[in-house]
Amino acid sequence: MYYISAASSITHQPTFQNVGFSAVIEPLRESSVLLNPDYKGFIDAGLLRRMSKILRMSVACAKDCISQAEIEQPGAIIVGTGLGCLLDTEKFLNNVLTIEGLLPPTAFIQSTHNTMAGQISLSIGNHGYNMTHTQNTLSFENALLDAMLLLDEHGDNILVGAADEAIEFLNEISGKLHFQLTHPITSGASFFILSNVKNVNPLACVKDSRAIGLVQHVGSEVHAFLKENELNAEDLDLVLFSGVGGHISGGVEDVFENLGIAENKSHNYLTYSGIYPTTSAFALHLAIDKMKTDKSLRNVLICNTFIQSNLGLTLLQSIEA
Amino acid sequence: MGVRITGMGIVSAIGLTVAENLQALTESRSGIGPVQYLEESEGLLVGEVKMSNEALRQELDIAPKGISRTSLLGLKAAKEAWGDNQHNSRLRTGIISATSVGGMDRTEDFYKTYLGNNNPDFNILKTHDSGSTTERIAAELGISGYINTLSTACSSGANAIMLGARMLLNGKLDRVLVGGSDALTKFTINGFRSLMIYDDQWCRPFDDSRSGLNLGEGAAFLLMENEKSIGISGNKTIGFVNGWANAADAYHQTASSPEGKGATLAITNALAQSGIALSDISYINAHGTGTKNNDLSESVALTNVFGEHIPAFSSTKPFTGHTLAAAGAIEAVFSILAIQHNLIFPNLNYQTPIVETGLNPAVTLQSETPVTAVVSNSFGFGGNNSSLVFSNHI
Repeated sequence: MYYISAASSITHQPTFQNVGFSAVIEPLRESSVLLNPDYKGFIDAGLLRRMSKILRMSVACAKDCISQAEIEQPGAIIVGTGLGCLLDTEKFLNNVLTIEGLLPPTAFIQSTHNTMAGQISLSIGNHGYNMTHTQNTLSFENALLDAMLLLDEHGDNILVGAADEAIEFLNEISGKLHFQLTHPITSGASFFILSNVKNVNPLACVKDSRAIGLVQHVGSEVHAFLKENELNAEDLDLVLFSGVGGHISGGVEDVFENLGIAENKSHNYLTYSGIYPTTSAFALHLAIDKMKTDKSLRNVLICNTFIQSNLGLTLLQSIEA
Repeated sequence: MGVRITGMGIVSAIGLTVAENLQALTESRSGIGPVQYLEESEGLLVGEVKMSNEALRQELDIAPKGISRTSLLGLKAAKEAWGDNQHNSRLRTGIISATSVGGMDRTEDFYKTYLGNNNPDFNILKTHDSGSTTERIAAELGISGYINTLSTACSSGANAIMLGARMLLNGKLDRVLVGGSDALTKFTINGFRSLMIYDDQWCRPFDDSRSGLNLGEGAAFLLMENEKSIGISGNKTIGFVNGWANAADAYHQTASSPEGKGATLAITNALAQSGIALSDISYINAHGTGTKNNDLSESVALTNVFGEHIPAFSSTKPFTGHTLAAAGAIEAVFSILAIQHNLIFPNLNYQTPIVETGLNPAVTLQSETPVTAVVSNSFGFGGNNSSLVFSNHI
């Protein structure tokens, strides 16, 4: 069993340092914006000026988690990101193709996918295991699996999270490629502390997680996952899933129906998070927050079916009193 | 403790197969030269893979469009490592690749057309994200399930090997292809130039006159299997990965600490985990990029760990160039070759020791003494430091 002892998210919803947000949030509007906290409380002003959106979000969430969990240092820092530091990548690419001669290096330095994990380690002086996973919509699940593996080995108090940032260009791509997205493209960061011992005030447990690339049969994978965890579909009190279309025949809603999961128990979390590759980390925080306020939620499944070829499954359980 | 390695594949500036790489290493033949394939300023020194995208596609039998050079290189190396192995429903097979640029080579082509308002093909961007490069390799090899990509800058390849070993030891997979791939891009070349650590001359790791790196490109993969998998495949073990460690330097986003804190931790912890005594290490394949900062910091770390008795060491980057996320995987293949053939590879271009540390790398090919255990270092941006220990025994 893996205990979550802290959770922190900066998103387009009022998630940051706002326990109980799940009860008050509404479906995102097209015009929604990232709700930035006052970063000065978390990041040195000199550093803050140079940091892009994704770095600010990540470092602030990481520090918030560490303070919530009341620990000095996490044993490791593990980050998932689907598209990495897009703002600085686009900026440096633009410079490479338009400016002759020597370029300013800052955007290049901050363009690598591991900048978030690196900046977190720098800002807290952490010398532990430091890793960045980037596997499209399964980046967060892969980071979470790495954290669980570390806890099985020897680690403790793992800081694990995910972040992705939106740039205007993504909307242009989406339009040109006729994605017909049903939710706005957004930014978000969610971080957690995962531990293998029951600390003072654990929020919930991660029972199991799985990331399946190039998946063939979503229904049978979900069924097998539940079976391995000795659960039936009716034991699930809540299912959070992701789907970008309306109801499509053969889509995830049909899969749930075939498995016997009641329609009123399942919710499309993209309605609240908007679209970015690592929204399943948002879903994890959403689930934890709901479980904290509603004690009837004992088994919660996060079913990441954001894109057809990838399946992420994460099973949460409430903490037994 | 050790995890069995049963296959390997590589494509680099010095060869398109394991055999070609070994031959170039033993002949001290570098693959660094003036840029030929990438559209860059004339005379720029790079370690290019001597094969065009077109030739790679033909050899790999890939349709003409929709694949990045990073995927092509990765697929070529992964296919060599995979060899004649068959899929088997009783074996859980995974793939972990590493890349820092992903499909940036194609994104650059797209973006140039886009900036020129020349009706760019937005479909090209579907190969941009790093994860898609691994998905493509997995799809071509028929691997599904655990497909993962790591991106920790220049230490990525080593981290893929580390994660694969952990997945096997913890019973999460039965066999796994681990490695990394990075194509040369304008993005990275100009990035290292902007940091003023791109040497216009041939790089000189561990030499006092060193003044930067030459970028290279390439890919390498290892096939690792547990006992159950070997029972079914019947594959011969060619080496073991015995120790691994990853530590954060937490000093600066791009520079290594002068006291080599992260590097010292990574080497020390990897050795401790391997259970192999310091005195039993035959060779160190250093990160040795040729930058002032890395080579000094790494020399200090080697001294911190080994004191007066530093084993024979060399950087093979004057052969291949710095291949970023592929470097850890390429140098893992070199480490296995060193063990298989009792070789210590020369550190080309070395003349004068670094004043502060005075260390002398191996300068000629050594083939007289047995090589039984090798440390391979990979250090990167963001303070990501990783070390691996390979040997000929479990």
